[in-house]
Amino acid sequence: MTWELFAVFVGSSLRLAVPLLLAGTGELVSERAGVLNMSIEGMMLAGAFAAAVGAWATGSPMLGLMICVIAVLPVALLQALLSNTLRANQIVTGIGINILILGATTLAYREIFGARSREQIPGLSKWSPPLLGNIPYFGEAVFQQVWLLYAGLAIIALTALVLRYTSIGLVVHAAGAEPRAVDKSGISVTLVRYLVVIFAGFMSALAGAFLSIGDIHTFTEGMTRGAGYLAIAAVIFGKWTIGGCILACLLFGAATALQFQLPTLGIDVPNALLIMLPYLLALLAVGGLTGRQTAPRALGEPYFRR
Amino acid sequence: MTDVATHKPRSWRVMPAPSVVISIAAVLAAGLLGVVLIFAMGVSVSDALAAFIQGTVGTPYAIAASINRSIAFALVGIGFVIANRANLVNVGGEGQIAVGGIAATAVALYGHVEGLPAGLAFLIPLLAATVAGMLWGSIAAALKIKAGTNEVISTLLLSFIAVWLLYWCVQSPVLLRKPMTSSATLPESLEIPDATKLPLLTGDYSFPVHIGLPATVVIAIVAAIVLAKTVFGLRLRAVGFNPIAASRAGISYSRMVLLSLAAAGALGGLAGGFMLLGEQYVLKDGFSSGYGFDGLVAGLLARGSIVGVIAAALLFGFLRSGGINMEMVAAVPTALVMVIQGLIVVTLAGAAYFIGRRP
Repeated sequence: MTWELFAVFVGSSLRLAVPLLLAGTGELVSERAGVLNMSIEGMMLAGAFAAAVGAWATGSPMLGLMICVIAVLPVALLQALLSNTLRANQIVTGIGINILILGATTLAYREIFGARSREQIPGLSKWSPPLLGNIPYFGEAVFQQVWLLYAGLAIIALTALVLRYTSIGLVVHAAGAEPRAVDKSGISVTLVRYLVVIFAGFMSALAGAFLSIGDIHTFTEGMTRGAGYLAIAAVIFGKWTIGGCILACLLFGAATALQFQLPTLGIDVPNALLIMLPYLLALLAVGGLTGRQTAPRALGEPYFRR
Repeated sequence: MTDVATHKPRSWRVMPAPSVVISIAAVLAAGLLGVVLIFAMGVSVSDALAAFIQGTVGTPYAIAASINRSIAFALVGIGFVIANRANLVNVGGEGQIAVGGIAATAVALYGHVEGLPAGLAFLIPLLAATVAGMLWGSIAAALKIKAGTNEVISTLLLSFIAVWLLYWCVQSPVLLRKPMTSSATLPESLEIPDATKLPLLTGDYSFPVHIGLPATVVIAIVAAIVLAKTVFGLRLRAVGFNPIAASRAGISYSRMVLLSLAAAGALGGLAGGFMLLGEQYVLKDGFSSGYGFDGLVAGLLARGSIVGVIAAALLFGFLRSGGINMEMVAAVPTALVMVIQGLIVVTLAGAAYFIGRRP
């Protein structure tokens, strides 16, 4: 493998990992506070769709991004209402929302684009950090990326700091481990859990926008193809720590990038096996490669005062 | 948490009345919204409904196709209910159907079964499909027992893997792809031999309901009896309510997890076998076509009742058929059916709060 190909591989791994990183970070925060949010798959798809439609209708990818974040908010609120106020089964509601969004986006896509499906959608512009962009080979292949990638990484870093060093982080962790203690200290568990689901919705919206107007500049039906579930697997793989989750997402991104890289190297591996690889890795990951799992104690249990 | 002491043992009673009312109300409300959406799309509602009715009960063929669909949904749904008794959520129907289809095709084409007497020619491929599904379900059980892996995420990932496995099988000539005679050879298997196709109930291709129908009815009755009247059913429920109390009472949690997920997988695999040997005859990419998720929704909707599963499976079988015909005749995308299904699931999950029982 030449340096050139290696740089392309690193660049595309990073690009393919970003949607997982964004959605995974949102899911991590939500799970740390005790809400198992299966609907990030649907929220990503809704985000991808809204961003594509927004950018296409207004001609501005920036407006598309804003429309995308606003459009996903009701979905996140629905999930939050069902899992916190109505105390519904979080897995069932998540799957229901995912089916609903897959149907709704497919329907709306056919209605809005229909015959115009080949039309190019304006995408987010690329940017490369000063100095880093000048490194031979790597400068262009790795660092020349859509600006949302850098913005996303910054948000993830900020989230990690907030979780680690602030009282907000403490409350989030406590809401997932000892919700009763949070309640007794005068903070509303329900409010905390509404906010984390909305945060997960925001991050999933960005992830979806990255897929549609950041990466391929178009929308296809069901384009997330289980990326949301991979993000959930990454949270489990990373043992509910942000560092572990990031590593897992990068691993899945690299596994996805292999399907474009190996054929160029003349290595003959069945295409299906390569497409399957991230899911296979995710299965091995959640299947105990990392040892016994340490989920937040109140994960998936709705909280209510007795 | 359900209080075990105050919970009345469920007898032969199918399901409590309020939940039946709410289920029916949710289905009707979602259906009504579907009509509103058709109207909003600017399609003539009467044309769309005419196409829908034509596609569901318009011809004997349409009725048979709907019933054959319902068979697959019902089997996956029954499997879901069995696993759900142990408080497990099997979301892997799609993958279990896919591996069932692969196994059935492989054995029907290359297992030298077509000359066998007494129906063995199709029974052996069906058995292979069932075993394949059972093994696929058991992987999730093994991960749950060994590593505590949440079965929702493992069965979902296994579904993705199985769907790509199917793609691989029909793409690769060394696996199940038919011999490549030209570059235009489609990525699909050969057609299975006639002897391995499931006999039709009427023997007439204008009403092609296959023997999967009586088989599914028998399976549903057996499942209902096992769940309601046997020690195994009681143990499943005990594990579902309180694994710790159940294990103190001498019930092995691991055993129950393995048995229930393997049973759910076996039924999913059998559904795949029926689909291939009874209707499609050729294995193609996209073979499972969302049937696993429809079956899952049927299982969710049924709230633990086998009769409910059958009702929901029939509903979705006819809904799908009608939806497909609406797409062909009235240009209403079948995705509308998914919107309706998603709404039903979300509404019922939310409504559980008001009737005090969760699915």
